[in-house]
Amino acid sequence: MKLLIIEDEQALRDNITHYFNEDGNICESCSSLLGAINKLSNYDYDCVLLDIGLPDGDGFAILEYLKAQMKNEAVLIISARNSLDDKLKGLNIGADDYLTKPFHLAELKARVVAIYRRKAFNSNSKLVFNEIAIDLLGRSVDVNNLPVTLTRKEYDMLLYFIANKGKVISKNALAEHLWGDEMDMHDNFDFIYTHIKNLRKKLLEATANDYLRSIYGIGYKFSPQ
Amino acid sequence: MKLSAHYSKASIIITISVLLVGAVVYFFAINYIADNQLNSDLTEEIGEVVEYVNLHGQLPKPVDFDEDQTTFVKTNQKYVPTRFFDTVYKNPKEKNPEAGRAITGLISLKGQHYIATITVSRESTEYLIQIIGAITLALSIALLVILFVTNRYILSGLWRPFYDTLNALKAFNISDSKRFHLRHNKVDEFNELNRVVENMASRVKNDYQHLKHFTENASHEMLTPLAVITAKLDTLIQDETLKPEQFEQINDIYSAASKLSRLNQSLLLLVKIENNLVDDAELLSLDGLIGQKIRQFNELILSRDIKVIEHLEEKEVTASKYLVDILLNNLFSNAIRHNIDHGQVKITLTANKLIFQNSGAEKTLNNERLFERFQKGQKSEGTGLGLTIVKNICNLYHWDIAYSFENSLHTFLITL
Repeated sequence: MKLLIIEDEQALRDNITHYFNEDGNICESCSSLLGAINKLSNYDYDCVLLDIGLPDGDGFAILEYLKAQMKNEAVLIISARNSLDDKLKGLNIGADDYLTKPFHLAELKARVVAIYRRKAFNSNSKLVFNEIAIDLLGRSVDVNNLPVTLTRKEYDMLLYFIANKGKVISKNALAEHLWGDEMDMHDNFDFIYTHIKNLRKKLLEATANDYLRSIYGIGYKFSPQ
Repeated sequence: MKLSAHYSKASIIITISVLLVGAVVYFFAINYIADNQLNSDLTEEIGEVVEYVNLHGQLPKPVDFDEDQTTFVKTNQKYVPTRFFDTVYKNPKEKNPEAGRAITGLISLKGQHYIATITVSRESTEYLIQIIGAITLALSIALLVILFVTNRYILSGLWRPFYDTLNALKAFNISDSKRFHLRHNKVDEFNELNRVVENMASRVKNDYQHLKHFTENASHEMLTPLAVITAKLDTLIQDETLKPEQFEQINDIYSAASKLSRLNQSLLLLVKIENNLVDDAELLSLDGLIGQKIRQFNELILSRDIKVIEHLEEKEVTASKYLVDILLNNLFSNAIRHNIDHGQVKITLTANKLIFQNSGAEKTLNNERLFERFQKGQKSEGTGLGLTIVKNICNLYHWDIAYSFENSLHTFLITL
């Protein structure tokens, strides 16, 4: 996947680039509206991460540009403006998703992977990870061609882990993904553990390998090895 | 009372009093003039009588002065002043006595003095006064009717631009991006008013836009560093050589960052509500939303073995879904956070009441300070803004919220 990250905050840009780079993705980045348009006019990308508040102008201009040039990049807006107007405006002009700062890198990755999948494999709705096959449209999971019944939360969790395979995911990030950030979890992550335990048990019973690992004190890791 | 009614009242009172005073003055003036006329007539008559006496050397017979009644009374007085007085006139042809005017004077005939009294009828003068009175009354009534009609219709027509302006002001919406425009009219004063109102409206809209931008900028400036903190932590934990104690520290930073983020969002939300920036009101099924919330909080509820007792009647409200969602979130969150394990949450919704009750510490909370910013329980991990936001959302929609401690249950009653 080829990505363009448009973000004026250097520290954030570096971390996003670093996080995405490891997975065989190619990440380019720039910090201004002009630089972004320059890059977009010369190259094609699979996905654009767009910060709306740029020093030299409004990020919406990039959406307009992409629309005018009939370019097919998937766009995810990352914005500090949690305003419904902006969100609707962005999605109307052609953005595929909208994420409000601050966010977890794992959440960003999961969202990017999801919109990239939607855009790139319109016909193919199967996501395969080793022996685990997920039918994204039917929301069903097969392990070694045998169906596994997962609850909605377990299914969401599995997709989240696969999108962030090989990464340590904090409990905070997982909780926010599963319950939304508007719901205050009171720093009580006990029930995440219950869901993780159930998911792991179901996958193991379906003869999948044990990919899930608990990293003591911080979170979980879903790794292919 | 409307301005036109005030004006009608004043003008009619003034008109009636002026007419009344006028009528009195008029009456006396006409009487005075009529009396003068009668007096001069009578003087002339008595002159004629004197002349007749001098000429003929005898008293005239009553027939010689047709309508007038002349009497002569012998007297020994040498001098009687000529005087006029009002008296009763008896018309020989009619039975009824009439008002009359009389003159007495002294006449000497052949050394004998007589007091001559000539009486004339005032009937014609009275009649004149009656006619004039009737005409005046008719005119007054006509004047009053005309004044009333004028005030009623023409004045209200004159004031129409004012009411147009008033209606436009009532419909004024600060978040409407269209320019506030008032129609031009023929009255200078109203045009000036409209100009001032338009200026004020555009100034207010400008300020509002500035505020909105400030809100957004403040939000942007604070959230980007928070995003950096979170992203750095997400990167840091990828290093698996870190020790569990270090992970613990990182966890605390995560918690602090997420709390800071919530705090910031809450403050911005308060600014938004207080400035009435959330205006996406729609018809919502409150019972449906509460049902959803119960499901959403299900795991949190189960994890503390809290029993939820719901009694929900169908109820629709017109409000922003976003705000009602936050309202319910905060109420639920509080009811669970400040609950005891194996406690209970009671939710009652009726046609005009929403009641959240929860078990918890056996102590009444400070009713006055409960809804203030940053007021929170000693053990609370929240932002201290939850109930302030609840209160503000209620205020926005003119709902009333009250707290009480009843039957060991902390009760929040919202009157919809």
